[in-house]
Amino acid sequence: MRSKRSSANNRLLFAAVVGALVTPVGAFADYAYVTNQSSNDLSVIDLDRMVEVERIPVPGQPVGVAVAPRLGAVFTVSPDSKTLRRFGMSGGAPVAELRLDGGPIGVAVDERRSRVFVSDWYNARIWVIAAESLAILAVLSTGSAPAGLALSTDGHWLATADRDANQVSIFDAATLKLRHRVTVGLRPFGVTFSPDGRLFSADVGSNTVTAVDPASGRVLGHAATRERPYAVAFSSGRGFVTNQYDDSVSVFDAESFAAVAVIDTGEYPEGIDTSADRRRIIVANWFSNSLTVIDSESLEIVGEIATGDGPRAFGRFVSAAPAPGKVPTRTGGR
Amino acid sequence: MRYFGHFLLAFLLILPGLAQAHGPTRQKLALSIDVAAEPEAVWAVIGNFQDMSWHPAVFSTTGKGGNAIDATRVLTLKDAGGPTISEVLYKYDAGKMSYSYRITAVDVSVLPVTNYSSHLTVTSKTGGGSHIEWKGAFYRGYPNNDPPANLNDEAALAAVGAVYKAGLDALEKKFGK
Repeated sequence: MRSKRSSANNRLLFAAVVGALVTPVGAFADYAYVTNQSSNDLSVIDLDRMVEVERIPVPGQPVGVAVAPRLGAVFTVSPDSKTLRRFGMSGGAPVAELRLDGGPIGVAVDERRSRVFVSDWYNARIWVIAAESLAILAVLSTGSAPAGLALSTDGHWLATADRDANQVSIFDAATLKLRHRVTVGLRPFGVTFSPDGRLFSADVGSNTVTAVDPASGRVLGHAATRERPYAVAFSSGRGFVTNQYDDSVSVFDAESFAAVAVIDTGEYPEGIDTSADRRRIIVANWFSNSLTVIDSESLEIVGEIATGDGPRAFGRFVSAAPAPGKVPTRTGGR
Repeated sequence: MRYFGHFLLAFLLILPGLAQAHGPTRQKLALSIDVAAEPEAVWAVIGNFQDMSWHPAVFSTTGKGGNAIDATRVLTLKDAGGPTISEVLYKYDAGKMSYSYRITAVDVSVLPVTNYSSHLTVTSKTGGGSHIEWKGAFYRGYPNNDPPANLNDEAALAAVGAVYKAGLDALEKKFGK
């Protein structure tokens, strides 16, 4: 999250400086990298022009996705073929892949330490993998059926939603030591850190979002959602939750957890993320084969974009990136 | 008795997990048909959650709650004493002629799916007649890795597809092409 914002800030600064001299040139745009589970591919979508610009084959029914702009990379996880893949942000064939024996599903990236984390749904664990070589570095134990994973904005924490244990596991991202196991709502699936560093789980079974302080492991409160909340994103001091069975996004106040609005989406909304400029919320509609684009201030729907078949986009799937076909530019990653 | 107690405890602890478990790859299916009758006539037959007698595989429907959210029904298949499917209504819009429900209990030998949800919608066609769409989202019957052939993704898709086709074929016969 931080990298996304800081790169966005850098871009803004850069655009402001250049803009004073010449007309700004849009070398970067916001892109969505959408895993299409049924059509076995990755849709690369230009969110400024609202069109799909590339479709990359990804065998094995991909679900999990994680953009890593500092590494110039996009990672996908195909549960059916049990494969992690790394792509360049500018598209094209995968540059590396790794078969993972188990039930890989979710993925998150620690860009500072060049580590990739993949959840193993069937074996209550996380693989820790080197982002460059895809070598397995370590294995961490979680509760039963870990699904979503997230890195905190400051890079301090790694969290997993352990669905069948009704808990989140919180690890120190530097030492990989388990810090807390926190009981949340029933069957948490997606987890996200808010920009201010709190952890939020979307609890599929209890129609709640649970807020957790990762440092103390204390539950801070709950927000009510509609039926089957799936994942959470943040913008403008609000949380946005996809309601898989309600064809909607619930909006809640990130401080008070009070309900703000419910926005109609396509059918079976799943993955949700914030644009790099934080002005838009992007929702993947699994049944409708589309993205819904929401203005995070006005809460109006500003666009609907076609995807491949069965878009899941489970993870961080939106990032500023160079246009496909161009050489990826690294933005200060280590 | 002590062993039985342990067994029972273990079973009770495992049971909720089994009820919720599913594989990672959700399937979806949408079948539709156009019929000659107007949407109101079609909705009058299929729009009651408590009566699925329009489907040839359903022997009887018993339930409670009418067409209110959280209404339940038990479908008995084939004949009296046949296998059953328990379902709950979670969306109902008479104005849009659409409802959504999910299965709360079914043996995978009856329908090889888990976490099944479904939607039935009637819309009008330009120039007269109705468009009936039946959609489902579900996971295969076997919740773990490497499923046997009778409980894999293909088996789930084939079984649900057969149910939808039988229902839509019956409606086409009833309401005309």
